[in-house]
Amino acid sequence: MLASINWLKDYVDINVTPEVLADKLTGVGLEVERVIHLGEGIEGVITGKVETIERHPNSDHLWICMMNLGQGDLVQILTGAQNVHQYDMVPVAVVGSRLPNGMKLKKAKMRGLDSFGMLCSAEELGIDAKLLLPEQRNGIYILPPDTPIGVDIKPVLGLDDVVLDIDLTANRGDCFNMLGLAREAAAVLDKPMTMPDLTVEEKAGGDVKTMATIKVEAKDLCSRFAMKLLKNIKIAPSPVWMQNHLRAAGMRPINNVVDVTNFVMLEEGQPMHAYDYDKVADHTWIVRRGGDGEKLVTLDEQERSLNHNMITIADPEKAIGLGGVMGGLLTEVTYDTVNVMLESATFNGPSIRHTSKDLGLRSEASQRFERGVDTVLNHDALNRCANLLEKMGACETVGGIVEDYPVEVKPVVIKVTAEAINSRLGTDVSKAEMIAILKKLAFAVTETPDGALSVTAPTWRLDVTCDADISEEIARMHGFEKLPSTLPKLEITQGTQKPIEDVKDAIRDYLTGAGFNEVMTYSFIHANNFDKLHLGADDIRRKAINIMNPISDEFKTMRTTMAPSILSTVAYNLARQNDRVDIFEIGRIYVPKELPLTEFPEEKPVLCLALSGRRAPIQWNDSKDNVDFFDVKGVFEGLMDLVSAKDYQLVPGTEPFLHPGKSCDIIYAGKKIGYFGEVHPEVQNSFALSGETYLMEIAVEPLLAQALVVPQYKSVPQFPSSSRDIAVVVPEDTPEADLETVLRKNAGKLLTNIKLFDVYKGKQVTDGCKSMAFNLTFQDKAKTLVDADVDAIIKKVLADVESAFKAKLRD
Amino acid sequence: MNDKLQEIREKVLLKLKDVKSLDDAKSIKVEYLGKKGALTEILRGLGSVAAEERPKIGKMVNEVRADLEEKLNTRLAELEKRKLADKLAKEKVDITMPGRKPQEGHLHPVILTLREMKKIFMRMGFEVEEGPEIENDYFNFEALNLPKDHPARDMQDTFYVTDEYLLRTQTSGVQARAMQSREPNTPIRMICPGTVYRNDYDATHSPMFHQVEGLVVDKNISLADLKGTLETFCKEMFGSSVKIRLRPSFFPFTEPSAEVDISCVMCGGKGCKVCKNSGWLEILGSGMVHPNVLKMSGYDPDKMSGFAFGMGVERIAMLKYGIDDLRLFFENDLRFIRQFK
Repeated sequence: MLASINWLKDYVDINVTPEVLADKLTGVGLEVERVIHLGEGIEGVITGKVETIERHPNSDHLWICMMNLGQGDLVQILTGAQNVHQYDMVPVAVVGSRLPNGMKLKKAKMRGLDSFGMLCSAEELGIDAKLLLPEQRNGIYILPPDTPIGVDIKPVLGLDDVVLDIDLTANRGDCFNMLGLAREAAAVLDKPMTMPDLTVEEKAGGDVKTMATIKVEAKDLCSRFAMKLLKNIKIAPSPVWMQNHLRAAGMRPINNVVDVTNFVMLEEGQPMHAYDYDKVADHTWIVRRGGDGEKLVTLDEQERSLNHNMITIADPEKAIGLGGVMGGLLTEVTYDTVNVMLESATFNGPSIRHTSKDLGLRSEASQRFERGVDTVLNHDALNRCANLLEKMGACETVGGIVEDYPVEVKPVVIKVTAEAINSRLGTDVSKAEMIAILKKLAFAVTETPDGALSVTAPTWRLDVTCDADISEEIARMHGFEKLPSTLPKLEITQGTQKPIEDVKDAIRDYLTGAGFNEVMTYSFIHANNFDKLHLGADDIRRKAINIMNPISDEFKTMRTTMAPSILSTVAYNLARQNDRVDIFEIGRIYVPKELPLTEFPEEKPVLCLALSGRRAPIQWNDSKDNVDFFDVKGVFEGLMDLVSAKDYQLVPGTEPFLHPGKSCDIIYAGKKIGYFGEVHPEVQNSFALSGETYLMEIAVEPLLAQALVVPQYKSVPQFPSSSRDIAVVVPEDTPEADLETVLRKNAGKLLTNIKLFDVYKGKQVTDGCKSMAFNLTFQDKAKTLVDADVDAIIKKVLADVESAFKAKLRD
Repeated sequence: MNDKLQEIREKVLLKLKDVKSLDDAKSIKVEYLGKKGALTEILRGLGSVAAEERPKIGKMVNEVRADLEEKLNTRLAELEKRKLADKLAKEKVDITMPGRKPQEGHLHPVILTLREMKKIFMRMGFEVEEGPEIENDYFNFEALNLPKDHPARDMQDTFYVTDEYLLRTQTSGVQARAMQSREPNTPIRMICPGTVYRNDYDATHSPMFHQVEGLVVDKNISLADLKGTLETFCKEMFGSSVKIRLRPSFFPFTEPSAEVDISCVMCGGKGCKVCKNSGWLEILGSGMVHPNVLKMSGYDPDKMSGFAFGMGVERIAMLKYGIDDLRLFFENDLRFIRQFK
């Protein structure tokens, strides 16, 4: 809301600077976002009259104007504008004056002739073109003929005004107008308020009740519909002061009738509408719901399709307007209009909100109805319109007001105690101060015999409905800055988080310790990612939740796997000169039970991790190899150790987006909880990954089971262990795990550890075979093992391996 | 005999004088003092000496032996020291070459900030709760005193999944969830960190971001308690010199409501570009829980009162780390992420 200080001064004596007023208003909850000094930068520009105008002898577009600047001699000024005529009043930037763009006027020579200044356009004076009529936008700004000569242009065009741009909160509909703001300004400045003149002469006489009929049929959508009749209307421009006020408020002046209805809306907060009285059948206004499929051509010449949710103004024959949103073209006030019927009504906010949203017609009027208008004051707006137009000599008013007021609005009465308010605020404000504050804001206050306060809220304060609201009025007017700062006096409690959060934190610490970087990606993805991942048509992950109103398809589908987000992030970084990308994210996936949603979906925490590029950063004596399957597997194993998960199984991978020979599924407690492996070369391409990438995705919740179990101490062995290296040659496709299983099974209880330390293929090993070297550690808790004991075990073990795998002991 | 001993002694001393290497010195020791060494020979030959002479000669031999042994050992120690010194000199490395640093990973700045926020509130006895991101209209709006078609719904552009389900626009829905999951009028002190979504995307708006919601409900909780609690939080988060300021505002679920500003962390309140010369930075919204919200969740507003607050994690992270573009958080450029610890 733009609030002109000059306009506010019509109601309150403002004796502080705009900046101070802005701070004070912000302090009571009316946040002033900007203080706009209109006409900033204009200095020494004055009004002037074109006494003579003739063509420049050496130019086909320049004119020589002899200007009366009210200083005796005429001044010669040249202009290239083509809209200037003899005796026009125009803004003149004389030599030495300044314009908002920083320009300082100097004497100029144009085609051999001197020009002692410049005639100004509206744009050159910094006036927004949107606030001007089309004819005022081009060329020099032609001022009204009765403008005095030789005076400062700023007050003439309202450019001496300062405007406060107020970010109004949704509850303060009462301040969506100048009177409301003036009331707050008066309260913070402790000044009285002057109310606008509502007296009407009613020269036309008669009683409008006999000249029109009003029927509110949709009583739930319209609580009051009041009208006043103005006869013999003379359409003309509105006075300059009103135009200036309107422009300062960001509205374009059009003509007296439109301007007055807009002015009154801005002043009183009551949206108005004007009808051509003679075009409404039977002079009858009916407020009803729209018929489904009913048509109406609105003021903007668009045909609108109505429905039963729309507040429709109709005469007995047809719809003539959308209440509170836009009038109909047929009953519009035009230059041919003789009699104008003014409407001041209260329409249901939610309905207006719906209609204006559906039709894309948010307007100053609809926004005010959405926040609520003061039904009790509907008449004031009608009288104010009539008063202003009468003063302009633009009409003769018919007596009285005709209305239907089916739902009477009663003021809200709230009983409060000073103690309760102080307890809610933590303050010590006296009852007397509370009463004074409330009275300043036009609340009626009486003390009840038990010492409580009975507070009647003014009818425009639709936001005040309960004692908490009264406490807010006290708090904001007493001053938030005076609030004490205390800590709640509460019992000591333990600040804890859920165990799953502890596990997530532990995983984060483990992974960052292992060199991984945490990323954060959007929860919504493009649905085409499922194709990019080669997911089968019946893959459960394709059953994803879609957003109805997404920003774009890129942000439409709630992810059912984190793989696309993470792969895209890897690609982004590989494309930015990273020779190693090592990232992870713990996020949620969103799994619907059915679509469309009829109950809450499952939101499962998932860890997703990816690795690509060099194993180690470039160093002068370190590995230059790239990461491979066993790097991601190692991270996985470390993670399982971290959460003490032992009984998991890894089975050959089934994910369509992973390399079939270099991936596995993770089975834990009988369920698949994730996968890891190398990204399939085709998928690598579809995600534009410039190198082999290894991916892991694993559900976090199943890892919780053992994660927080505290490890229990086992005694450290007192006797030395004994270890042996063995190497066996087995067929190439023998899984290492199988070998290990057999070794473990046969090595007996003394075996404490097996480590694969070498795998070799090539010379000295038969084709189709590989040599695997293991280090076996034996330990007896009760004694030092002697070689003979260990040798015997090794001999047995080798025999068993040999028979199980057709293996050979390698020398 | 004495002459012979002295001769050996002289010889050894002469050799010791010239000896250069540790090995040579060791062989001298073996040559004269070893099992088959010259002095040992003499002792062994004592059998042929007259019995009365034996003690005398024995003593002489032992004296010479002790003397030589001491001198030899001293020399050996010297040579050993020199050998080590030579070895160390040869092993010298170029200490200016880069070290082999263990790879370090980095947490995302939003998570780092969230962790810190959680820590501060947990120290104050707040429980941390979570809520669903796909929320229903009731918890996201209606239970927060925001009926359908309330103009305040425009404060947040909502992503809808169906007419009933939506992506939560605020973590405030957890207020109602927290109350409704407890016995009526049970005291509450909790925060809820979480991801929220709004249909808004430009340099200063992300369609997804994070909030921390706070809720305290008990007997006699006041607006002054809210101020004190947030002041404690802000001082822990931004340093003890930070000041806070409450301004009246409006949220449908709190009454009175307040925006909270902190003195600008960049300029200390003098006025700069970041605070638009105001000296203050808006960091969160808060207020006393609206009686309707308490009532709708089964709490008795005549017995219980409470305050609630909600703050943007990215906003706080930006102020803390001096980040000037919100979009950086979700671009995940490793050159960005690796800066935080």
